[in-house]
Amino acid sequence: MKAFTRVSVAVIVTGVAFSMAACKKKEETTALPAPPPAAAPAAVDVINVPVSVKQLTLSNRIDEATKKAATAMSSFAANDTIYAVVDTIGSGKAAIKALWTYHKDGQSAQVNETVQEIDATGPASTEFHVSKPGGWPAGDYQVEVLVNDVSATVQKFTVN
Amino acid sequence: MNASSKSPGGDMPDFSDVESGASSTAKEAAPAYKLYTIKSGDSLSKIAKHEYGNANDWRRIFEANQDIIKNPDKIFPGQEIKIPL
Repeated sequence: MKAFTRVSVAVIVTGVAFSMAACKKKEETTALPAPPPAAAPAAVDVINVPVSVKQLTLSNRIDEATKKAATAMSSFAANDTIYAVVDTIGSGKAAIKALWTYHKDGQSAQVNETVQEIDATGPASTEFHVSKPGGWPAGDYQVEVLVNDVSATVQKFTVN
Repeated sequence: MNASSKSPGGDMPDFSDVESGASSTAKEAAPAYKLYTIKSGDSLSKIAKHEYGNANDWRRIFEANQDIIKNPDKIFPGQEIKIPL
């Protein structure tokens, strides 16, 4: 009985060893291919979202090439050309509108309403500018930026 | 390129001589334009004369608004049209 047990154990151990070897061989032959590259970085996702306004900056001077405002301003002189620089993120077609208004005693008057349609492939800067040959009346103004006719941001400024 | 003015009160300043423009670092899907609301007594040639200094440029405005203006001789107060810049 003791001899039988010893033989049985040996058979079992040998069988297990063979099985493990077979499994290992199978694992080697059916190894999975290398995992695909990691998911695209988050920056790509930012590009694939619709155009939206990141920042609005007012100034009386911009860099024509980059459309960046020289200095952010909230007060202008009567003879200034006033620039509204709209920095956007996202991609695709969008109609960006700048609606300029003058405010006095609770009333408002439309100064100008200009639209620039863009086909963005990522972050972009769009400038709108207004000037008045006779000089701006002193007072309170604002520019509202709309993307596809939905208000995105408003900034107030004064002319002294 | 002058702007339309929607002054609600008589004591508000006149902004009809405001000049405007726009440009972008992004690809421009269409040329920039200004929106103008037609007033009583307007015609495309009158608007063109005011905006561009030449009444003969009325066709430029007409072509930019063919979705809403079918006949250049028939425009109506309150219509909002595009003035190409």
